[in-house]
Order: sequence, then C-alpha cells, then structure tokens
Amino acid sequence: MTSFLGYLLFYLVPVIGGIAVYLAMPGRRRVSRIAPVLLGTAAIGAMIGVVTKHLGHSQVVFYVLAILSVIGAARVVTHRKPVYSAVYFILLVLSVAGIAILAGAEYLAAALVIIYAGAILVTYVFVIMLAQQSMPPEYDTQAREPLFSVLAGFVLIAALASQMVTTHGALAEAQAAAGTAKPAAAAGAAVKSWSNTLTLGTELMTTYTVAFEAAGVLLLVGIIGGIALATRRLTASSDQTSGGAA
Amino acid sequence: MMADAAILAAFKWHCMVLGAVLFGLGLIGFVARRNLIVMFLSTEVMLQGVLVNLLGFNSVYPTLNGQSFALFILVVAAVEAAVGLGLIVFLYRLRRSLDSEAWRSMSG
Repeated sequence: MTSFLGYLLFYLVPVIGGIAVYLAMPGRRRVSRIAPVLLGTAAIGAMIGVVTKHLGHSQVVFYVLAILSVIGAARVVTHRKPVYSAVYFILLVLSVAGIAILAGAEYLAAALVIIYAGAILVTYVFVIMLAQQSMPPEYDTQAREPLFSVLAGFVLIAALASQMVTTHGALAEAQAAAGTAKPAAAAGAAVKSWSNTLTLGTELMTTYTVAFEAAGVLLLVGIIGGIALATRRLTASSDQTSGGAA
Repeated sequence: MMADAAILAAFKWHCMVLGAVLFGLGLIGFVARRNLIVMFLSTEVMLQGVLVNLLGFNSVYPTLNGQSFALFILVVAAVEAAVGLGLIVFLYRLRRSLDSEAWRSMSG
C-alpha cells in the first residue's frame, strides 16, 4: 500500500509541474503571478523529495544546481520576452556547467561556458535585438496549444523518470542481494595522473579522429552557410512571393 | 571526488532524471511557443538535457566516451545556431515577423 501511495505521489509531481508551467505560459488570463511560482516550487521540492526517497542519497550542491537548471529551463520556455528567455538560458548553461564539474568534466564545463554562454548566446541576443519591436507582438504573448504541449511534455517526463527510478530500484536490490556492488571507476581513474583535459584530448585525437575531422568540416559548412544566408539580397521575386502569400 | 560506487550510481540516476526533465521542458517550449527564436532556444534546452544525461553516464564508466560525445553535441549546437539564426534573420526580412504561424502557407 505504501508503495502504491509512493507511486501516486510520484505521478502527482509531474501533474503539479505541468499545471505550474501551463499557468505560467503567456496568453492565459493570469489568475496571479504568484500561483505558478508557488506551484513550480512545490513541484521541484516534491520531485527532489521523491527522488531522494527512492534513490537514498542526497548531495546538496547537485540539488542546488539541478533546481537552478530546472528553473532556468522553465523560464526559457515560459517568459514573454525573448531577451529574458536568452538570459535564463545562460542560467541553465551555467548550472549545467556546474554539474559537469561535479561529474569530473572540467574541460566540458569550460567549453560550455565559453561556447554556449559566450558565443552562441551572444548571437541569439543580437538576433533578438535585430527583430525587436516597440510593442510586445502577439506571437510572444499568446502560446500555441499550451495545454496539449504541456500534457505531452510532462507525460514524457513522468514516463522517463518513473522508468529510471524503478530500474534503479531493481538494480540496487539485485546488487544488495548479490552482495557485490558493481565496481564503478570515476572518469579518468584509469589514468589518474592525467588531467581531464589531457585525457579528453588524447581520446579525441586517437579514438575519434575521423569524427573530429568531420566536426571541423561541419563547422566550415556552417560558416559558409551562415555567410551565404546573411549576404543574400532580397530579390524582386522573393518580395513577390512574400506579398502573394501574405 | 566521488569514489564510492553507490554515490556514483546515484549521481548517474539523478542526472538521468534531470536530463529527462530538461528535455521535456524544451519539448514543451518547442511545441507551444510561436516565436522562432524562442523555439530555437527550446531546442538548445533539449540539447542541454541530453548533455546532462551523457555526463551522468560518463561519470560511471571509466572511459570518456560520454564527454567526447558531449563535445560533438557542442559543435553541432554551434553550427545549428549559426545556420538557424541566419535563416531566421532571412525569414524576418521577408515577413517582418518572427511568428512561425506566418509561414504556414505550405500547410494549405
């Protein structure tokens, strides 16, 4: 019975989260601004409670970063102004970089901050400012089918998370029964004297040489494509098509 | 930093749940928002979810396959941002609008 109640609680968390995101979506008649915040806080807190209960272990830093990243992602998705969406995306990237450091991936954390928060987000902000309008346009204040998209998204989250938690529980029980916990070495433990960056660089240059070159070619193609799109002039024919369709 | 096998396993599962949540939120944003730029940002949120998932798995196994793959995701995200934002600017100059509904003429 208690496990049934536990699973009920488990599926209640995505429901609360879904309601919070739905209320925060632009375009709804807002009952209040506080309701989605409170509901979202409750959902995140309950999610942590449920996950900790099922997984047993708590680690403060990871939870703070996880909360920050979920808040950032929710605000990216729900904020009415695209500039603020971009700023909240930076919050998300920074907390993911923190999680990368926790996972022992220092190089990836630095690359995340430099490439994502530094380069990609600046491009986004530039484009947002190019397309800035004096009044907030209707397509920012009115979401498209918020109910069904939230439904689909949170059903997916609930399905994935429940599967993960139940599989983890079964694995832990099996290991406890066998009495031998699977030995899991930390990343880079095999070459303990090497730093993460050195190991990753060696890995890229030996195992993934072809993929590395292909990534370089992909970047080149991306640059050429970006330049070709940016320098393209609006011709008379494209004006006509836009006028005819609109 | 995290030598204990049980802690590492717990970290992996936490990362998987967090990755699922981030991916779902990005999916919602991609479907529900109408601004082309915000739709693109939502795909980046989904990519972050995948990245967290890879990091979680990578911390359990002694190889660095997860981190290497995450780096390639970073490359693809950068290219996607460059080409996609170029396309968005082009579309904006045609219609003077970032609304994805403005390009629904192909849906009939």
